[in-house]
Order: sequence, then structure tokens, then C-alpha cells
Amino acid sequence: MSDGDPLVSMNEVEVHFEEESGIFDFSDTDPVRAVDGVDLDIYEEDVVALVGESGCGKTTLGKTAIGLQRPTGGSVEYRGQDIWDAKDGKGDVEIPYKDIRRSLQIIHQDPGSSLNPNRRVMKILESPLKRWQKQMSAGDRRGQVLAMLEEVGMTPPDDYAGRYPHQLSGGEKQRVALVRALLMDPDMILADEAVSALDVSLRVEMMDLMLDLQEKFDTSFVFVSHDLSNARYFAAHSGGRIGVMYLGELVEIGPAEELINNPQHPYTKVLRWATPDLKPGGGATEPPVRRIDIPDPQNPPPGCRFHTRCPEAREVCMEQTPPEYETAELHYTKCFREDDTHAYWSSPTVEDESDEALLGGEAD
Amino acid sequence: MSTNDTQPRSAEPYSPTDPILEIRNAEVVFEMSRGVSRVLDNVDLDIEREEILGIVGESGSGKSMLASAMLDAVVDPGVLSGQITYYPQDGEPVNVLGLSDDELRKLRWEEISMVFQGAMSSFNPTMSIKGHFVETLEAHDYDRQEGMERARQLLSDLYLEPDRVLKSYPHELSGGMRQRALIALSVVLEPDLLVMDEPTAALDLLMQRSILSLLEGLKEKYDLTMVFITHDLPLVAELATRMSVMYAFEIVEKGPTDDILRNAAHPYTRALLNSTPNLDAPLSEMTSIEGSAPDPVNVPEGCSYHPRCPLADEQCVAESPDYHQISEQHAAECFHWEDAAEAIPFNIDQTVIEEEEAP
Repeated sequence: MSDGDPLVSMNEVEVHFEEESGIFDFSDTDPVRAVDGVDLDIYEEDVVALVGESGCGKTTLGKTAIGLQRPTGGSVEYRGQDIWDAKDGKGDVEIPYKDIRRSLQIIHQDPGSSLNPNRRVMKILESPLKRWQKQMSAGDRRGQVLAMLEEVGMTPPDDYAGRYPHQLSGGEKQRVALVRALLMDPDMILADEAVSALDVSLRVEMMDLMLDLQEKFDTSFVFVSHDLSNARYFAAHSGGRIGVMYLGELVEIGPAEELINNPQHPYTKVLRWATPDLKPGGGATEPPVRRIDIPDPQNPPPGCRFHTRCPEAREVCMEQTPPEYETAELHYTKCFREDDTHAYWSSPTVEDESDEALLGGEAD
Repeated sequence: MSTNDTQPRSAEPYSPTDPILEIRNAEVVFEMSRGVSRVLDNVDLDIEREEILGIVGESGSGKSMLASAMLDAVVDPGVLSGQITYYPQDGEPVNVLGLSDDELRKLRWEEISMVFQGAMSSFNPTMSIKGHFVETLEAHDYDRQEGMERARQLLSDLYLEPDRVLKSYPHELSGGMRQRALIALSVVLEPDLLVMDEPTAALDLLMQRSILSLLEGLKEKYDLTMVFITHDLPLVAELATRMSVMYAFEIVEKGPTDDILRNAAHPYTRALLNSTPNLDAPLSEMTSIEGSAPDPVNVPEGCSYHPRCPLADEQCVAESPDYHQISEQHAAECFHWEDAAEAIPFNIDQTVIEEEEAP
């Protein structure tokens, strides 16, 4: 990875959602800051796994990367072409939006609801080919669909092609969604919690399949998951990176095994705690956060956004926003603890007023 | 590899003398056009008072059916047979399957309570959280004032702000808050047994783990017995003292959690442990289980796992294995339980007992 120019390059990307207000409501509401100031480059045949809690902006960032979500600030480029300039026809468009759209595909979290229940598998998979490869004959089209079904282990393919989505298991539906994305011959696929709905015991099988196909079709993947062990499996097998998101910011990113074995940001360590191991003699321990609910993304805490829950927070974290520090090669962390000489170390620790601070989700 | 020098979490020996719920020969069948579908097959299970029992199984292994059976809540046209006995703290044992509708309504919620996955669909979207508590207390003729005080206490035990949560509507709370409010609601009538079916499945991992540690606190504080049903073996292993592993509508292995993690004797349990993505195992050694789980209409003869089992021989095809006792509390339904450890080595070295457990 990381040789040559990036496939997709995001610069200072911001996605803020305005809350819908009623017709007669003229008050200004704060936008939800789903993604705030993220820089990320994704290369050819690269894998980036984005992890974080519900509402941290990982899916929104993923959708921004494949041009499905228009950023409210910053830019997203595909092979040097600004995706939204291409869409709007601004300036010299070198790569038409149509081609960009086709090169960047998605697999959704819930395979059941992303497939039309009234269509057979063959029909579902033929329609993208009909749209994008008009010159292809009906016979060739069917042949390609069958070959792809066989490729993902749905044999006999003729039998599966004739089924409706409800006649498939969860894993099989997800495979159909994967085939549908691959038929576009994409450069990059966003897999949004693609294995989370599957049984734990079936996840490795599905990830192995995606990894095989990644190699065979030279596709890049953005793999979104709340589960660090899935992210590790997928990213480490493909030599990719894991990015940790918190309240719209990318707080740590690094090569998969490096980040798992040498986590730097206190939040990454919390996620590591949250990932169950199979060691005997465990027993549930207290969560290593000062509050268990995530603050309101409409009104994120000032300074370091994690300071309201961080077990290591000091007063300086409430006032200043930490910059990005380079921890090791390709490994970056946004935390003052990376800087041995920072004022953080002489700053007093944050005292919670009382136990009441643990309650509730909002940091007021 | 795994050693036999297992140290049970408690020093006392296993005493099946104080069960809270006893299940014998539980069977659920559905008549279908394709044939008879047996979705719970001859299950025996004892739940000890004040334990946390984990029931682990993949989708379609019959685990939710077992939960429904505990409360005689199997939906039509399913037919439940067998013997289910509830032992109250004081008083006569109750034959759950012989209760009238009124008695059953009282048993549910007041003695045995249930939490399902997807809290959104358990709440009425047009009623505030407070409304749910009031309705539940009134339907069971509980004192409202006392009940609401208990509700407030329970909510703060679960790290929720009682005032704010009670006046909210379900959609105003996050998924994790909603699920915690549902847990508080399910124990507001002071049941002795709490049965939870995938109570954390739709939540992110950090919230799941946080809820687990809150549940443990709740159990200690209110002397609850808990049954935690899930497909997620590593998750429940953190909480449960004992585990039962289900495969193809039967319990194939049961024992103390540590014994199962260190020394699982059923080839299925071992394969399940090896197929679980985690942060410790070497990458190349996490492998999926070959084949797929059987159709309830057509469960293989003999041992139902034999078509997928590397140890299967003629005996496994011909006969259905009984439980083999591995230790006093640990049993597996397998003829080859002595060879399983060698044939299917674990990918994590389970002999190392964790010392560090970061504070």
C-alpha cells in the first residue's frame, strides 16, 4: 500500500447535519457534527478499518469517501478529481461523476433490506450490468452473474440465481450484496458493518471471502465496524490500517497490528478493554471511562472531545485541542500524552464533582 | 495445551440442591408441510439460585426457543412438552406448564422476567418511559409510590438520570440507554429470575461490555438469578459462571465457564472458540467451522454434529451420544470427548492465566 498517488484523498472533511426545523421555527439549532476535520488518504489495494461507537461518524466518513455523502467542508478527491466538482460540473472535469460513482461501491449493514424482496437473485445482479454495460449480450450477462456466484461459494449457482432474497441465509444475502458491488469492477468498496449482523462464528468465513476477492480484484476496502477484533482480522490480513473515530474526529490511526498491540490514545485503550477475550478467570470489570454514554454530537465538549470520559484527562485537555502526533511510522495519535514535554504533564487532573457525573449522557 | 488443573471460581462443590428452575425433557415441535420441525430436543437444564448462566448457540440452534419454554411462552402452533419446575425462595415448587393463564401472568414479571433484544420494539413508542413503569406496576397491583422509588433507584444503578429518562419517550433515548431502561423495567417488580435473550446484540461493543458490568452489579445488589442467551461466546464468557452450549436444538456441552474455556470437550465448542475473531490469537489460526448447521426438519441421525466433525466415526453416525462427565460439573455429549483437545487444539494458549487485568 501507500505507493503512488492516493485513490481517494480526503482533506479537512467536515459533515454537519442541520436539524430539520418546523416551518414556524426560526430559531437556529446547532448542527450535528458527524465528521469534523478529517484527513485521510486511501490508496490502491488499500484497506482501512474505521472503528468507534455508534454515532462517532464512522459510517458518515465512509460514505463521504465513496462520494455518497456531500461534505459540508473540505474536499474529497478521486484520483485527483474533486468528486463534488465533477458532480456539479465545476471547472475542468477530468473524470466524469458517472465513472467515479461506479468505481466506488458500498455493501450495507443489513443485507436483507438492501435486496429487493420481489426479485430473484439473477434479476438483482443483472440490473447493474444492464445499466453500465449496455453492449453486453443477455447470455454473457447471465454467464458472468453465475460465474461470480460460484466465485463466492454459492454453488450450484443456477439454484441460487433462481431464489428470492428471503430464501437465503444472512451470510448468503451478504454474499449477493458483495457480488452486486463487485460486478461494477470497483476500485473501492465501503463495507459498512458488513459482518456485524452475522453470527460470531460466521464472521471469519465472510471476512476470508472478502479478503480473497480483494486480492483477486485488486479492490480497496473501507471496512466500518464497532468491533475491534473484526477490524483487526480484516485489516491485519490485508496489511491495512485501523482508524479510531470519536465524535466525528479520527483520534488514532495506524497499521493494524501496531495499533492493536501498541494503542496510544486512551480511547483506543478503552475500545480494547471493550473487546472480550477468551481467557479464563475473567469476570466483568468496571468500564475504564468516567461516563458510559457518549456526549451529544450537537454540542461536543471543547478541547479534546474525549475529556469528559477520558480516564487520563487533565485540565489542559478541557481547553486545548490536541494536534496530531506521529507515534511511529504511519501511526498517528491526537493526544497530548504523546508529547513528553507538553504542559499536560504539569496540569492538574480533572476532578469529577461527584458520582453523579457518571450518570446520563450529556455533558453540561 | 490445556491442562486439567482447573480451578473452579468458587471453592464449594457443585450442589444441585438449590435450583430455581428445573427443566426436564423439554421439547418443542412445529408441524410443517415439509415435516415435523423439532426446534428443541429433549433439553435438561438446572438453573442454580443466584448464578449467572450463559446459553450460547448460533442462529437457529434453538436458544430462543429454550428461553420461551422457560416461561411457557412458545408461540402457536409450536407444542411444548416436558417438565418445567420453578422453585420459589419459600413456598411450594410450581409446575410452570400446569398453570392457568392468570397464574402464568403473575409468574411472568413477578417471579421470572424477560428482556429481549431490540428495546425499541419492546417499548410503546407513544408512551413515556414513566408510563411504562406505571402501567407495569398497576397491572400487577403493586404500590405505585414504592414501585416508582424502586424504578428511580434501578435507573441510577444503571447509570441513567432517573428524572430525565422517566420523562423521555423511547425514541429520545440512545440505543444503549433504551436497553438499560428496559432492564430496569424488567426488574421493577422484583423478580428472582431474569432471562435475557440477546439483550445487547444491537449495541456497540463498548456499551455491551458496560452493560455486562452493570448487570453484574445488579445481580449482587438484588440477589437476582440471571440467564444470558447469546450467539456471542466471548461476550458471555466475561459474565457467566456457568455455560451451556447449544447445537442443533440440544445442549451439547455444559460446565463452569473456566472449564469450558480451558478444556472444552465437545468438538463443536472447540471449533466455535477457534472461529471467534479476537485480539489475542495469531491471525492465521482463526478458522471458520466447515459446513452449516442442520435444518430442524432434517437433523442428522446419531450425533447431530457428525457431518461437520473431524472426529466422527461409524458410532457417531449410528448412535446419539449421552453426556460424558468430564469433571463433576462439566459434561459433553460426545463419544470422543477424550480426544477432542488433541484433534482440535485451541488457537489461544489457555494455560496462561491472566495476571495483568489492567485496572
